[in-house]
This record gives sequence, structure tokens and C-alpha cells, in this order.
Amino acid sequence: MARYLAQRVGQALLVVWLAYTLVFLAVQLLPSDPVTIFLTVDSAVDQAAIDTMKSQYGYDQPLAVQYLHQLAGLFSGDFGYSLASGQSVRDRISGVAGSTVALAGSAFIIAVVIAVLLVAAATLTRRNAVRRVLVNLPPLFSAIPVFWLGLVLLELLSIRWGVMSLFPDGSFLSLAVPVLVLAIIVSAPVAQVLLKGMNHVYEQPFIDVLRAKGASRSWIFFRHALKNAAGPALTITGITVGTLFAGSVITETVFARSGLGSVVLQAVTTQDVPLVQGLVLLTATVFVVVNLIVDLLYPLLDPRILKSNGQGAPRALAA
Amino acid sequence: MTSRPASSPAPARRSLRVVAMMGLTALALTACSSTSTPQAAQDTGAGGPVEGGTLVYAEVTPINNWQTQAARFYEKSNVLNSVLDRLTYFDAEQGELVPWIASEFSANAAATEFTFTIRPGVTFSDGSPLDAEAVKLNLDALGLGIESAQIQPNVDFAGYSSAEVVGENQVKVTLPSPNANFLRATSSVTAGLVSPATLKLDAAGQSAISQISGSGPFTFESEKPDEEVVLAKRADYAWAPETAENQGDAYLDRVVIKYLPEVAHRAGAVQSGQVDLVRGLQPLDEEALTASGNQVLPAEGIDLTVNMAAVRIGSGKLADENVRRALQIGIDRQSIKDTVLSDSYELAGSVLNHQAPGFVDLSDELEYQPDEARALLDEAGWDVGADGIREKDGVKLEVTVTSSNNSVVIKPAFELIEQQWREIGVKLDNRAGDNTFLATAMPDPDVEFFGTRQFIYGGLGPIFEPADNTMTHTSDEDLNVIFAAERAAAPGPERNELLAQEQRALVVDKAYSLVLWDEVQVYGAHSDTHVEFTSGTAPVFQGAWKTGG
Repeated sequence: MARYLAQRVGQALLVVWLAYTLVFLAVQLLPSDPVTIFLTVDSAVDQAAIDTMKSQYGYDQPLAVQYLHQLAGLFSGDFGYSLASGQSVRDRISGVAGSTVALAGSAFIIAVVIAVLLVAAATLTRRNAVRRVLVNLPPLFSAIPVFWLGLVLLELLSIRWGVMSLFPDGSFLSLAVPVLVLAIIVSAPVAQVLLKGMNHVYEQPFIDVLRAKGASRSWIFFRHALKNAAGPALTITGITVGTLFAGSVITETVFARSGLGSVVLQAVTTQDVPLVQGLVLLTATVFVVVNLIVDLLYPLLDPRILKSNGQGAPRALAA
Repeated sequence: MTSRPASSPAPARRSLRVVAMMGLTALALTACSSTSTPQAAQDTGAGGPVEGGTLVYAEVTPINNWQTQAARFYEKSNVLNSVLDRLTYFDAEQGELVPWIASEFSANAAATEFTFTIRPGVTFSDGSPLDAEAVKLNLDALGLGIESAQIQPNVDFAGYSSAEVVGENQVKVTLPSPNANFLRATSSVTAGLVSPATLKLDAAGQSAISQISGSGPFTFESEKPDEEVVLAKRADYAWAPETAENQGDAYLDRVVIKYLPEVAHRAGAVQSGQVDLVRGLQPLDEEALTASGNQVLPAEGIDLTVNMAAVRIGSGKLADENVRRALQIGIDRQSIKDTVLSDSYELAGSVLNHQAPGFVDLSDELEYQPDEARALLDEAGWDVGADGIREKDGVKLEVTVTSSNNSVVIKPAFELIEQQWREIGVKLDNRAGDNTFLATAMPDPDVEFFGTRQFIYGGLGPIFEPADNTMTHTSDEDLNVIFAAERAAAPGPERNELLAQEQRALVVDKAYSLVLWDEVQVYGAHSDTHVEFTSGTAPVFQGAWKTGG
């Protein structure tokens, strides 16, 4: 177990470092430096002003110096300064992260609930017609664009019927609607993989044994089948972090919410490179940490993984 | 929400003022009803300004840097306009600068010395006086930047060297070289005056609206970062620009600024009564909003150039003046207006807006003449190839346009131009609205067009003159001579003649600016909202009010 743990944590750190280095190099490949890019968005600027700001932010230093300086900063929690607001990147991000965590966290939980309920209903129903409708819902969910669903709901609920505000006002609906919009898109892949896994599990002989012993359909589903089908679904759940984050950017814009999504949008449109770098690092870290947690949960579901010498956790989907 | 300030003005004074206002408004209504916008006559009660109430204003994107001289974007200046006063105010109706915090201002004949007499009794919201010393500190910060706070000089104050307090309440600015545009620059929101205490803060401090102390009619009350800013009125405000209708404190108690990034909801937000005023209305939504009994309010951007495609000749394809002229007359502006714009937009007659001082109407030279354009291109040696695209020496006449996505109409406009130019054998690669491309295209002289409009507080010179200017990336010797002469000339017929030469050169003879339409920001307003705008398109909340409060 210790070896498996060390290996997974080491890999996670390597991925974060590589992600940071790649972003640093990508920025260097741009035809000019972050300050020039920031200052020249939509306006004509004096070269002297660019030069002064460049030296203030250290962008006139040699590449290696900049890289080592930035990397050293990361270890002391210094992520540099946002060019747009002058705030430190850490303050800018932490100021709004709570709002996104609330949105994405709730959406994630609701998404898992939706996925499990949908799969349970599809598996347990005795009516074929109902089952056919239910199994076709996940592909439909993944086909609905997040912004479209958000716009339609706002148009109806807020502008036509006036039951919710266009702006986040702390009311139940102003959190519930964006959470639902985001949860629907995230639930789709989880439900799809869970359904597939479930089909596989129900073909296994032990289900027949359980049936023969007289176990009820729901007992079999929740006590036995779900745990066996959960592996691949857990993997895909880790990967949905990306969907969740991308969905947050759109949801926050449509619902005029503050949060990482709106900061990403602003950072990119104003070409605030240090802020973009900080956000990429954060996203990479979250992604890696969530997948690390998934990897560490795996042996609890399937102890055989540890025996396979820490290699090849069954990341391949059951499909 | 904090509690409302105790009502300090005596009720008698207030009711008197309301009566006076009602009289004035009635007069104004009868006198100039024909010039008022047709949609504005919604108020049934013929009443004057109503005291009190909260106005909800929706901006396009959230802002988190409120540092004064960085306020070159509408999102910032529209809010800071109510928080910061300036030395002077540009009155669009009179077409001239009028006193504000400077009760008098003058320039010497050489346009190198400017004297401002500071109005007595003005205070910042932190209680400190807005006196000559405070003005000097502000001018120094604007002209020289604040190195310790990493704040750059204001670009409109180019050439600034120093200011000194003279006499009892006067400030004198001396410039090493003549600049007749300096006075106009003092009217810009980016030259807003802040308290000396604010100037001492670091960059992050000066960027936080909660810490900015100005002398404006509204002050900061509360903020939810990236979601809303609440401004409360200053009850003791009594120093509006000389020509402002309301000379006292604001009618509104509060202005709430919210953000509505989603363009599809802007009209609906007004129609459903959730906001009183919204910026960035799509032409598509204008009719529906008017039909629902609400208002479409175009605010003319007199302080800016028109919307244009600024021409860069780095790629060599547009180096020949004839080619640029061909493209200028190869644009069917009327069809742009009919297709992607609305009645709120006026087609450009020059590189300056119709109401800008010194505007010269060149619309005769801007008529759509595709045949003439083809002839010019033929003359320049660009022959039509097999695919209909012209070529010369094996190079195709393919050009690229870049622009930010800040304007809701710029991308569709270039889509139409793309079709029109195709008719004369020119291929346009439309990258308008692609901000990622913009970042690399902006400093690249090989990207032929930059779709934009710019504030011109320093005149046209600073935009087109420097060798590294991002508009054309070209420093034209002949033009620079005119720019220099214009900068030195005192306002009057002689300067207007120089302005006319600049416009003629930029639009007709050299065609560095393919002009499109006058800059205008189209606002949507609820039927109860009464608001006017500055020449920089910012809403003037000091004089705004709502029927029914």
C-alpha cells in the first residue's frame, strides 16, 4: 500500500510541475511579454510605459531567472501579481474560489445523485418503455449545451415569469438553478459509464446466485451491483472535474455569478497572463488531487489492484 | 446595506428645489421637445425630478481595478464618473469645456502654460479639502505616474513635467512643448481627482473602489467582488459642472452597479424591471425594447474616434495609397447600417464623430463606388486571378482584421465588409472579436486592419503619430508635421484648419483609417428612468432620477 501511495503522490506532483512549466514555456512562445500583451489590448500605448511596467514585474529578466524566481515563489505561496487589478494572484483567486466551490461542489453531488437515481430507476424498472427512455437520458444530457440550458431557464424563470432574479441574490432558486444546469451536464458521463458497468455486473453469475437466494431487486442493486459497477464510474467521476470547471465558467457567466469562472474569463479577455498562469496551476492541482483521491479509493473497491504491483489500476473503462 | 444617512437638507429647501426643477423641466420640454429622443417621452405625469430611490445599472463585465488613470474602458469610467470629479467638463451641447472643480482655467498663447483656479469649499469624501495642493498632487500623479505604487503616467498627459501652486488657490502647469489638447485631457474620467490619502496607497489599494476617495456626487457604500458595487449619494454635494441642470446633490439615494455579461438578457433585464439601465444593447433588441414601452438611449462617444479599421501597411499589400483608397470606397456603409446596425448608429463622416470639435464632413468621399475601387486596384497593378481574388507578383490580396470583442456590432460589420470586398476582388480574413488573436495581432504591423475606436483626449496625434503606434505601426512624416502644428495651435480657426487637414489625410488622401460609424454606446432604460450621458458615453447619475423614486 505504501509503495502504491508513494507512486501515485509522486506522479501527481510531477504532473503539476510539468503543467506549470509547460504554461511558462507557452507564455514565452507568445510573440511578446505579458506586460505588452496586457497593455496593448484595445489601446495604443507608449513604449516607455511598457518598459517601466516590464521591469517592475520582472519581465525584463532572463528566462531562466524568471522561471526560477516564479518557481521559488510558488513554494512560498507567492503566485505573482495580477496585471489587471494589482492584487496578488493568490488573493484574487481565493477571494472568489468559495463561490465556485459552492457551485461546483453542489453540482457534483447533485450530478452523482442524478446519475445513481437514473441508473437505479433504469435497472429496477420492469417496464421496457420506461427503461428505454431512461437509458437515453444521459446522451441527451451530454448533448445539451450548458449555456443554452441556462439561458432558456433564465429567460423563462426570470424574464417571463419573474420568479427568480437574473442576478445571484442569495435566494434558493438563484443557487439551485445554476447548480442544476451544471449537474445535468456532469451527470451524463457518470450515468453512462455506471449504466454500462451495471449491465456488465448483471451478466455475472453471482447475481443469479443472489436471485436464487431470494434477494429483492433493490437489495441486489444497492448492496451488491452498485459496488461492483462503481469502479469505472469512479474513474469517470474524477475526469468530470474538467467538465465541472469548464461548465462553471459558462454557468457563472450566464448567471452573472462571481467565481473562478468569471475570473478565468476576465483573465483571458484582458490577457492577464500571471492570473491565467495561477488559474492553470490551480486547475491542474485540483484535477490531479481529485484523480489522486480516486486512485487511492480504488483499492478500497477492488483490493486486487494492490496485488498487481501498483501497475495498471484498471483505468480502462469497462466499456 | 448600511442605514441611509440622516436627511440633512431642510425639507423646505428640497421642496423649493423640486418646484424649481419642475418649472425648468416644463420649460425645457416645451422648448426642445423636437430634439429630445422620441422614446424618452414616457413619463405621463409631466413631473420633474423625483427625489430618492435606487437605480440599478447593469454593466457588461465586472471590474476589479478602479485605479483612476487606468479607467480607459467603459466598464470603469461609467462607474468612476459618479465617484470622481474633474477639473473641467466637456459640455456636448455647447461643444466646449466648461468649469467644474476649476472655476476658471486658461492657457497661454503658446499652449505651454495652463492655470486652473480651484473652486473653494470642495471636499473629498474622506473629509480632506480639494484645494490647490491636492490638485497639484493629482496632476503630478497623472503626468508622472506614481513609481512607488507602480502606477504609470496617464497617456493623455504626455510631455507633462510639473505643476506648482501659485497665488492662493491656483495651480499652474508648465509643459516643455506646446499641447493645446492638455485642457481637454483634464475633462477625462481618467483624470479624475482623488484625495491625497488615496494617492499614497499602493497599486492594489488604489485599485480597490472601497479605498478610493473622490469628490464626486456618489461614494462607495459596499461591494460584492465581481457581482455588484453599491454607491450612495453624497448629501452635501454642491459642485456639479457649471452647465449641469442639477447643481445640488443627486436625486437618487443609491446606485447599484451589477454585471450582466450575457448579451441575450440585457433587453429582458430592463423589460422585466430588474434593472433600470443597461449598457451594450444589441441592435436586434432595440425594437422590442421600444415596443414594450421602454427606452433605447444612444450615448454618443464624442470623446472618441469613430469606429474604424485602422490600416497597417507592414505586409506591403496596402502600401500603395490607391489600394487603401479603393478599400475605403469599397465599403457600402449604408448597407452595414441597414443590416447589422440600427437607427441608433450614425454612419461616419470622418475619423472624428459628427459632434466633435473640428469635425469635417467627408461623407462625399466615402460613397460606395465599387467600380471606381476596381479601377484603382487595377491601376495599382493588382489583377483579378482565376478565383476572383486579385494578385500581384504572385501575392494574393488577402488581408486580415483584428479587433477586441468589446463592441457587440464589430464582428458582424466586418462579416459584411468581407462580402463587399469580395466583390472588388479582395479577400478579408475576419478575426474580429477574437481576443486571443488580438493579443498577437496588436503589435504585428503585418496584420492589415485593427478594428477599433479610441479616446482622443490628447487629439489624434498620440494615436497615429508614434512609430510604434498600434493603430498603423507607421509614422508618416507629412502627417506628423500637421499633428505637431495642431498640438501647438490655440483653439480657433487656424487649429480647425489643421484638424481638417488631419482628417482629410487620414480618411481620404492617405486612407490610414477606413471609417465606419460614429462611436455610440446604446443603453436600454426602463420607462421610469431619466438619465443623460457625458460626451464619453458615461451615464450621469448625479442628474438621474426615476419616476416614482
